[in-house]
Amino acid sequence: MSQRNYTTVNPCIMCQPIGSVMAFKGIEDSMVLLHGSQGCSTYMRLHLAHHFREPVDIGSSSLSEKGAVYGGSENLKKGLKNLISRYNPKVIGVSTTCLAETIGDDITRIISEFKEEENVGDERIIIPVPTPSYEESHNSGYIKAVEAIVKTFTLEDSKKEIFNNKLNVVLSENISPEDTRELKHVFDSIVGQNSYILLPDISETFDAPMTGDLHKIPPGGTTHADIADMKNSAATIGLGITNDNKAVNYLEQTFDIPSQNLPLPIGLEYTDRVLAALSNISGAEIPHEFQKERGRLIDAMVDSHKYVYGTKVAIYGDPNNVLGMLSLVLENGMHPILVVASSKSPRFAEQAMERVKQVKPDCDVTILEDVDFDTFNDAIQKAKPQMMIGNSNGKYIAKEMNIPLIRFGFPIHDRVGSQRLLTLGYKGAMRMLDRITNTILEVEDTELAAKWSEPESYVPLGESSFHSAEA
Amino acid sequence: MPDITSVVNTLDERKPYIELKQANKAGELSCDSTSIAGSMSQRACVYSGARVALNPVTDAIHLVHGPIGCASYTWDIRGSLSSDKETFRTSFSTDMKELDVVFGGEKKLSKSIDELVELYNPPVIFVYSTCIVGIIGDDLQAVCKESTERVGIPVIPVQSEGFKGTKSDGYKAACNALMEIVGTKEPEFTSEYRINILGDYNVAGDVWLVKPLFEKMGIQVITSMTGDATADSISKAHGAQLNLVQCSGSMTYLAKWMKKEFGIPFRKVSYFGIEDLAIALRTTAEFFGSEEMMNIAEEIIEQETNRIMPEIQEIRSRLEGKTAAIYMGGAAKALTLIKGFRELGMEVVIIGTQTGKRDDYKEISYRVKDGTVIVDDANPLELADLIVNQKADLMVAGVKERFLAYKLGVSFCDFNHDRVIEFEGYDGFLNFARELDTSVNSPVWKYVGSKIEGAYSESSGADCGTEDETKTSNNKITGERSMQKIDPITLQQEESVA
Repeated sequence: MSQRNYTTVNPCIMCQPIGSVMAFKGIEDSMVLLHGSQGCSTYMRLHLAHHFREPVDIGSSSLSEKGAVYGGSENLKKGLKNLISRYNPKVIGVSTTCLAETIGDDITRIISEFKEEENVGDERIIIPVPTPSYEESHNSGYIKAVEAIVKTFTLEDSKKEIFNNKLNVVLSENISPEDTRELKHVFDSIVGQNSYILLPDISETFDAPMTGDLHKIPPGGTTHADIADMKNSAATIGLGITNDNKAVNYLEQTFDIPSQNLPLPIGLEYTDRVLAALSNISGAEIPHEFQKERGRLIDAMVDSHKYVYGTKVAIYGDPNNVLGMLSLVLENGMHPILVVASSKSPRFAEQAMERVKQVKPDCDVTILEDVDFDTFNDAIQKAKPQMMIGNSNGKYIAKEMNIPLIRFGFPIHDRVGSQRLLTLGYKGAMRMLDRITNTILEVEDTELAAKWSEPESYVPLGESSFHSAEA
Repeated sequence: MPDITSVVNTLDERKPYIELKQANKAGELSCDSTSIAGSMSQRACVYSGARVALNPVTDAIHLVHGPIGCASYTWDIRGSLSSDKETFRTSFSTDMKELDVVFGGEKKLSKSIDELVELYNPPVIFVYSTCIVGIIGDDLQAVCKESTERVGIPVIPVQSEGFKGTKSDGYKAACNALMEIVGTKEPEFTSEYRINILGDYNVAGDVWLVKPLFEKMGIQVITSMTGDATADSISKAHGAQLNLVQCSGSMTYLAKWMKKEFGIPFRKVSYFGIEDLAIALRTTAEFFGSEEMMNIAEEIIEQETNRIMPEIQEIRSRLEGKTAAIYMGGAAKALTLIKGFRELGMEVVIIGTQTGKRDDYKEISYRVKDGTVIVDDANPLELADLIVNQKADLMVAGVKERFLAYKLGVSFCDFNHDRVIEFEGYDGFLNFARELDTSVNSPVWKYVGSKIEGAYSESSGADCGTEDETKTSNNKITGERSMQKIDPITLQQEESVA
């Protein structure tokens, strides 16, 4: 439904606090407390539980009418106290909501008062992150929280200690736990197991093995020692290029750590870029394993090329994930007819266009950002893609269009396995390409079924459908 | 009151909200208050209460006035089905930005209403207020009133600022909104016996398994609120002679108002389980005082019960003796589940709700056996402790509790928004039994907590377990399946189990 100027219909974004939660969930022994009304934390828990299929505990200061009128300091302090007594986390992220921001609570002040009043020692680290829901999106919330985490652990006035010769790797957008594991494997193999610091790391925390025990705080995440050590690193790689990676900039400006921002390694060429950069920075050779994997990916691309070539596809989701998928789709000769980023970012459109020009300069492509699904739907009706790649929220459009939807990104709440989706690296590209190709083959099979009936041996005897199938 | 610390470790402030039922002693459970900050309540907010109670009105536009999050997280989450329009499954928001917060969102809201009327031509618009609307002082009432006059359809404010109370206050806000339409149109009568079904949200199509039973009894069902309701049917609800209230937590308020306003009495019923279904049909026939109707009711009860009983009996033989944990949003569902479980040979060992009231808990306490834990506004750690210490084999709750149960190796049944099969009516109860059967008796549970043991796995350090030895056992709750079997008496003495 077009011609809307005031109403958002079926949003593509979530609010900032949920982004901050996703970042904090990648930190060892940490909990998040949202300063706001009870509903915020519950809704985000629901949303995240649907996607990751894990227990997700997020605290709330449960602001009431009294708190909203007289300030939420009392609630926030009580919330922190109870959270500590129940979960005993070493790190607590305190993110604000629209309510806390609008009543003007100064969470930094409240937190320092709390630490003083309750005699909370410096071993407990409480990190305030202002994330009003009426600004930007979940993507910016993620970036802001990562920045706040790095800043807190590497205090600005502190000096570099001992040069650790490590590589910082800072994400600027959420990726799946399986992707995180793959990234770590790549870094382990090229840079060396203890020679890099990946932040945040949800590989274990949002995809914990089932042991029969329920951990109050799931083990895993970037360790505190590692985060504190980031200021001593030799270089920083920021993963994601559509937005400013604030933590990367901070590390460069404050501690003179040279940095480089690279795209998420999705598809052949972006993965090449990341691996080459790793090799250049670390001086290490790219292990043969990856040459072989790369060769297998190219083998897969050759196997698939006839099936996927020219297929018109619409890609949507968070900007860096979409950019990577655009690259993968282009490399395989598909036609990205519509490319949509959920939130606005300074360089998404420019980067997407550049990638299109590199691979398929004559490509007829529409690039949109910061739109709702209703606007996306209008664009899709016009573009008429044959396939969609994106999160579950596009399922209504795919159904309406009667085209397949390949689920990718966040949130995926109507299929299992989103925590195990692998898209990154050569291996991820292979998986993704296989999914795309097999989806196309499945559709063709279904369409062909009308013309090509099953061999006689598979048709129940007495069933007339086989013999009349040609009619 | 018996000490609950033997079964659950929690904040002192939370202890009055948990009770271990003992013979002939119904304690006074604390309830119906705002959640304790930092306690990790499973509840949502006022807005969520209003949204779940009102959202199933199928042809209405549900416009959320606030920043995008509130609309984003509640887009099509209810699982309610429609036999007509699907407008309610679209998420509409004024998507307030910083400037709207600073300068007020009234103008944007009224323009938004105008464009929605033009684009969708809805019979009614519900405008939900969210937290900051209450803070910046947008006059929702005034904007809606003006808009109603301007656009010619009812534009109804739903006063659901998230922080102004609990989820129950949200139910009230939803009822207040419904009151604006009830009685605004002349009902058409097709029978001399007419009812409304209140407090049924048609999740997975529940209402469609219940309504035909009443119709068979010669009763006209004017509307079902709010599952599969339309603005039109709600506006004629005053044509009923009786309101049947199922989800009492959300709809009793409306029923009481309809009694006062239109003189329509109400009865609390449930359409879940063989016994409660029979009671619902008999209560209705009894109310109308028609012998013929009562005969039909008895006929339905007998026929339908006989129809499903063989399979129920068969499933029962596989569920007999298993234990259940119930954690529901409202008390009505929790209560009816106790009976339902008994009909399947299962015993309830934990029962809790998010929004139960004092009377609800009294009744719950009366209906459960000694040793059952009753809890109000529980949180994940309490539930986990209770599941382990009360030895539950199955949990019935919503999504947030699902993965907690799974981690502890306990099977789970969703009786909330996420279910895709009906649980009400006779076939619904059969569905429920089948789901319990598949959940409890799946072979997957026996693998939970197991490890592969090779000849050298322990000593060679090749153990796949990632146990961090530096952490104390306080940081985790150990599922029953990975522990040695301990009898309940030893368990109660061992405080460190939690």
